[in-house]
Amino acid sequence: MQLVDFFTLLFMLMGVVSAVLVAFHPNVLYAAVALVFSLLSVAGLYGVLGADFLAAVQLIIYVGGIIVVILFAIMMSENIYRARFRDAAGKFVIPTAVAALLIAGFLKLFHDAKLETRAGLNAIPTTEQMGRALVGPYALVFQYVAIVLLAGLIGAVVVARPHHGNPESEAEKK
Amino acid sequence: MSLAEFLSGLNSVFGIALPMVLFSVLSAVIVILLFAMPLGGMCTYFERKVAADFQERIGPNRVGPIGLFQFFADGIKMILKEDTITKNADRFIFNFAPSLVLAGSLGAFALVPFGKYVIGADLDIGIFYAMALGSLVSLGILLGAWSSDNKWSLLGGMRAAAQIVSYEIPLGIAVLSVITVSGTLSMQGIVSTQAWPVANAVDGGHFWNVFHNPFLMINFLIYFIAALAECNRTPFDLPEAESELVSGFNTEFSGMRFGLYALGEFADVILFACIATAIFLGGWHLPFINFDTLDLGLRVGDTDLTPLFQTILMASVFLAKVAVLVFVVMWIRWTLPRLRVDQLMDLCWKYMIPIGFVNLLGCAVWVWVFKGKSMIQVAGQLLGVY
Repeated sequence: MQLVDFFTLLFMLMGVVSAVLVAFHPNVLYAAVALVFSLLSVAGLYGVLGADFLAAVQLIIYVGGIIVVILFAIMMSENIYRARFRDAAGKFVIPTAVAALLIAGFLKLFHDAKLETRAGLNAIPTTEQMGRALVGPYALVFQYVAIVLLAGLIGAVVVARPHHGNPESEAEKK
Repeated sequence: MSLAEFLSGLNSVFGIALPMVLFSVLSAVIVILLFAMPLGGMCTYFERKVAADFQERIGPNRVGPIGLFQFFADGIKMILKEDTITKNADRFIFNFAPSLVLAGSLGAFALVPFGKYVIGADLDIGIFYAMALGSLVSLGILLGAWSSDNKWSLLGGMRAAAQIVSYEIPLGIAVLSVITVSGTLSMQGIVSTQAWPVANAVDGGHFWNVFHNPFLMINFLIYFIAALAECNRTPFDLPEAESELVSGFNTEFSGMRFGLYALGEFADVILFACIATAIFLGGWHLPFINFDTLDLGLRVGDTDLTPLFQTILMASVFLAKVAVLVFVVMWIRWTLPRLRVDQLMDLCWKYMIPIGFVNLLGCAVWVWVFKGKSMIQVAGQLLGVY
């Protein structure tokens, strides 16, 4: 077994175990920490499959950004230890059905698609091709995605700015 | 080189086939024991000496000649100290958070090019990977702060995470402007473009990126300020503001667990100094001389010793630049007062990010107008040197 295969298996195992923990751990904070490892393992899988850039993006966006925001939300709320996922007991029928449908769909998709195995991939760096594609044929799509982010930023500014005519925020300004 | 290629190449080291587990354990031990610990330790010693100089004191002078072994004493003290955990602390996270911080800082050292032949892994995404690993640091600080069940810790951790997430943006913009100039993410690639320009364009580069164009010069300052904030160093040490938060996010940590946080902070400072040296200050390149093509003609028997001497010269030059930058960081710490939280956020979002973006645009325009030539190359062309 090559070292790469070992790491592939390791990341797969890590991903599955931590994903199960995310779904079933009764403590919300531990579920969030398990989510960190789940996302890290996905980054690792990207890495061993030769998608370096995607691996780094996964780390920087999900672990560095999204998870930190999730942790902020959890830590700022009171009584984390009392909040249990089990409170939602009895509400698991619809989510389970949806999840089962999703899994069936994905299995069908993976079965039909002709996916390359790792031996078929050449692990040459893809960063340069990706950069050229983003400013070349996909430049317009890239800009379009940027507009979505811009809309999000503007939304945040609108929410955060002091409301005129609201006595409370008027007082704040003074 | 991609990550997968790097992993495939790990099967043997220097021609010796090693079991992979042994190799991974060994490399971590080597990095921590032989590099980070001594360097972090020396940094604590120099920090105290520099602080003493600034305050007209003598500083540590008891352990060893001029107090040089002070950090051994500190380390032994850390290990022997009682390891306390607060009663309501979340034990699992409390135990594991400090290692996340250290992992984030030390993992990125694999990307630091100390010399042409001395680099852990010259990945194709080099600089980007180093920045991505940095995200583990904010996570470690936030989790450690929350788990210690202390309001000062929590406030400190919140401040640290908010600060690191905000300052990653100007940092990224500054790095991006280097990439527009170099056209590569690989650390060795970035360094190799910064050689002193010579007449045949193959051996020469465009000299240090700081002097590539005026925009990049300003973005170096942006990088430096943002790096200070990323390392939680004064004037951005709000997460551990002693006058407000006791000791901030690491208040409840004692013994070697605290030691890991302290070491992680110094490792972070050194790492950012290393990256700044590599991407802005030309790595091991000096003006008027190129170590790559330097041939000292030293031979023992049939063995050419040139690569060895090149490596020694390159590593010394590189580390000298790093030392200067680390000294500047300490100098700033003992000179400037701390910012307020609102000033901190104002500086980041209202000044550094817009200035950074304008300079990024400026860099792009410069590269387009002058076809990637630096100020020195353009001047040389006008004077007819090259």
